[in-house]
Amino acid sequence: MREHFFPDFDWHTVFVQPWAEYGDNSFWIVLMGFLVSGTCGLVGCFVILRRMALVGDAISHSLLPGITIAFLLTNSRDTLPMMLGAIAAGITTVVLIEAIRHSSRIKPDAAIGIVFSSLFAIGIILISVFADKIDLDAECVLYGELGFIPLQDIAMLGGVEIGPEPVIRMAIIAVIAIGLLIAFFKEMLVTSFDPGLAASLGINPTRYQYGLTLFLSVVIVSSFESVGVVLVIAMIIFPGATALLITDRLPKAIWLSILFSLLYAVLGFHLATWLEASIAGGMTVIAGFIFGLVWMAAPKRGLLTKLVKRSFKRETTSP
Amino acid sequence: MQSSSTTQTNSKSAAPLEVHDLTVAYTKRPVLYGIDLKVPKGSIVGVVGPNGAGKSTLIKAIMGLLPVSSGWIKVFGKPFKKAVTRIGYVPQRESVDWDFPVNALDVVLMGRYGRLGPFKRPSKADKEIAMSCLEKVKMTSYATRQISNLSGGQQQRVFLARALAQESDLYLMDEPFVGVDATTEAAIIEILRELQAQGKTLIVVHHDLTTAPEYFDRILLLNMRVVAYGKTADVFTFENLQNAYGGRLSILSEVALSRARKKFDGDTRDNVG
Amino acid sequence: MNRAGKQILFTLALLALPILAHAAKIGDISETSWTEQAIDFFSFQQPIIRTALIGTLLIGFCCGILGSFLVVRKLSLLGDTLSHAVLPGVAMGFLWNASKDPWAIFVGATAAGILGVALVGWIKQTTHLKEDSAMGMVLAGFYGVGICMTTVIQNLAMGNKSGLDKFFFGQAAALSSGDIRLLGIISLITVVVILLFYKEFLVISFDIGFAQALGMPVKILHYALMALLTFAVVVSLQAVGVVLVSALLITPAAAAFLLTDRMHWMLVLAAVFGMLSGAIGAFVSYLSNNLPTGPFIVLGATSIFLLALLFGPRHGLLPKILRRRKQRKRIALENTLKAVFHLNENSQFTKRAFEAGKLATERNASLHETEAEIRNLVKAGMALRLDTANGTKMSGKAQFELTKPGWYRACEIVRNHRLWELYLTNAAQYQTDHVHDDAEDTEHHLGEDIVLRIEARLKNPIHDPHGKLIPNRDAIKP
Repeated sequence: MREHFFPDFDWHTVFVQPWAEYGDNSFWIVLMGFLVSGTCGLVGCFVILRRMALVGDAISHSLLPGITIAFLLTNSRDTLPMMLGAIAAGITTVVLIEAIRHSSRIKPDAAIGIVFSSLFAIGIILISVFADKIDLDAECVLYGELGFIPLQDIAMLGGVEIGPEPVIRMAIIAVIAIGLLIAFFKEMLVTSFDPGLAASLGINPTRYQYGLTLFLSVVIVSSFESVGVVLVIAMIIFPGATALLITDRLPKAIWLSILFSLLYAVLGFHLATWLEASIAGGMTVIAGFIFGLVWMAAPKRGLLTKLVKRSFKRETTSP
Repeated sequence: MQSSSTTQTNSKSAAPLEVHDLTVAYTKRPVLYGIDLKVPKGSIVGVVGPNGAGKSTLIKAIMGLLPVSSGWIKVFGKPFKKAVTRIGYVPQRESVDWDFPVNALDVVLMGRYGRLGPFKRPSKADKEIAMSCLEKVKMTSYATRQISNLSGGQQQRVFLARALAQESDLYLMDEPFVGVDATTEAAIIEILRELQAQGKTLIVVHHDLTTAPEYFDRILLLNMRVVAYGKTADVFTFENLQNAYGGRLSILSEVALSRARKKFDGDTRDNVG
Repeated sequence: MNRAGKQILFTLALLALPILAHAAKIGDISETSWTEQAIDFFSFQQPIIRTALIGTLLIGFCCGILGSFLVVRKLSLLGDTLSHAVLPGVAMGFLWNASKDPWAIFVGATAAGILGVALVGWIKQTTHLKEDSAMGMVLAGFYGVGICMTTVIQNLAMGNKSGLDKFFFGQAAALSSGDIRLLGIISLITVVVILLFYKEFLVISFDIGFAQALGMPVKILHYALMALLTFAVVVSLQAVGVVLVSALLITPAAAAFLLTDRMHWMLVLAAVFGMLSGAIGAFVSYLSNNLPTGPFIVLGATSIFLLALLFGPRHGLLPKILRRRKQRKRIALENTLKAVFHLNENSQFTKRAFEAGKLATERNASLHETEAEIRNLVKAGMALRLDTANGTKMSGKAQFELTKPGWYRACEIVRNHRLWELYLTNAAQYQTDHVHDDAEDTEHHLGEDIVLRIEARLKNPIHDPHGKLIPNRDAIKP
């Protein structure tokens, strides 16, 4: 318990102590944070370019009933049923949005809003009604808790402890994401840029659209435990959006988004340590801060950069 | 049809494009109605007609981007999906997001993707082809520019270069001359002629009546239906143009519209204009 | 179209599952407490029920009206952004004097909300990022700040902080009389502003460029609307929750949009639906102890939306399906009539009565199908059975003839068919072998005025392209 909102800043307790005294825990937390935001950011680059940001938001909310029902049916927190429940929920969301759009004159934005809020409401009701049976905490769903990551079961491989299970799971997802990115980069690029051309090249744009949606659901479900359903969308949009303010090339943007993810994880962790706040919240604050910084001062397009350049020009041109 | 296609020139190989009794309807709007068309190899066909005549729809239907209500389309004697590598496409310029993080060379390289197949990345040879295509449209010095930093004409040239990189036999171009400066227009038409000389077939949607007879050797006058199709000199008559642009067939469009509405909506109102 | 309908039904069934599970669960808590609570609710004796009900009604009212403008402007998700963006403001207001002072929270949240909306606009204007990314960033970024602050507040040694969690999922019972007063004021302001500036809001919603050309202060109007929206969102937070308040803006308005084609009716309907959803939510969440209000309000609104989607008279799926089925029946009837006309024509118009077997051959159908068709004709008063000796059973030799209305209708259909063929070949230059299939379809959809115009255009023709006679207008209508 403390008195002030901003505690006194002490270099030692904020930056040194977490590593010196709880090095192991801090490592897993930061690694998990990085894996989550890195994977989300990777997928997010395409999500942004395809203008699916809010569909992603909808999916992240709709996962809640999916995992809750999976949980109620199997009575376990195993990865597989949760994953299947989440994917089913993700697909249901997209199908429902499309169905409402095509069967009525409701515009896509309203369809998105109606679908995700209804599904989310169902999820919340299920959780509060079966509160005694589900150890899914509604608040955990909303905030996520990276701090608990080191306390999770340790995954074993050939008798050797390799790390907390969620971290290992996220690492696998990250590797799959990178593999998919390398394998389908050109298809993703062309279907995002010009679906018409893609079709003329024999690349089916709808197939890739659904593939991306599916994988997005997988990424979101493996992330939400750590960052919560709302902040997962921050991890999806911020890295890519910030990178796209700096560079004009997609590959470069992807590299940059990974770099930003690392920054979010490390700085967010220390910010949260200082304020004793939610780590996911801290990461988002850092993400927002970095975006603001880049927005104002990016090398070519930053608002302040432009301003400075303009006034500089004026000075040099005026005699 | 007034001047039905009379082409016995290419009896050996299948025609680059053959359309039979094609009808296309968007959810509530019928756009094309009973289209018959046969395009001979090595011709430049201009698709001309008033706004909303279904010119772009025709291109999209050929590409399989729109569901066909009735009739069929064959490209080199095959359905579109089997002839994909033989078709090059230049979409309307507004159809893409020009803020997209790619440069001119990236866009041209996309033209090679169809030949690469899955899991393969563009090779050095592909890049060289893309560069040479950029050179053909005189855009080499802009290769590394992000595409929103190009002028309208330059963007159109990039699109053209991309179509060239597809190395196709049939090119479908949707309004390539819109928002383009005079030099670009001349450059584009020069490239089109060159392609024609190589035996390629081009179908170009065009809205400018004054330049149409000069650019194309065949013209398809379109207004929901084929008003006239054939050699430019035969088609470009006052009567045909009046038929296409005069709106004398308002009954046809009205009936088609109300019919489509009823089908999709179960609308019971009669012939709402 | 049909496929979409099926998809909806399928997913509806999926949705029903958890709701059923939930109902079963409520049942097994204790039957008596459930009904007792319900009776308790409807007696409106306890002040807490009245407060909650009045609160949710007012919230539904405000959100319904203001949400309508978002829905027609295709800005629905701006409401979502707004509701998330207010969270840091709520926390800030909470920090102000460490209590749940509605006014402090109101001021903080409104400031945060308007800042959020302004940021979305600013990002869109100054970068090449698209609107959805901008909204997503503001939504998640502000929410992240809010979560940081709330977790910090929970660690602070301050007075009463129990109320803060209500802002996430909403609890109508947590509304205080101070909140109600605030809600009342906001509702009043909303109604007055919308009434005063209805036509301005209508124009900027429909065509912002035109509004500018008219010299309207578009920016001010836009931000006024946003301010009203923020007010509505902020006062709704406690009852509905941050995540779900956007649903109250979107869903009732979307349901109203399905039912009416006029903006002012849409506002009225949306307000009514919003109030109804609020009441449903307040009622259901009162039934048991730990049920949050927000989700039930949302599901109430969703149910209304689904009803509108399925049964809305003009745009509803079910009426559409019924209309289509009716039309299919009519077309089948008309096709039978046409076949009878052809039988007539083949006999050089000498015979009037025909055998069912003959019709079956002409229609290329089985006798069984033809029987059903004739029965339909008889039911519609367009044909008469000449031999009723065998009862309802028909043989191939069973005789029937068309009644006068049946004969007229048959002539009309054949006339339509032949006129349309002639129009396609003569006026639209189609080849004669292309026109029959099209006419088969079009003949059922030609209205009388179009027929008149075609006749005028073709100068009252007598023969169709195949040389057959076109039934004469004067002969058809005596």
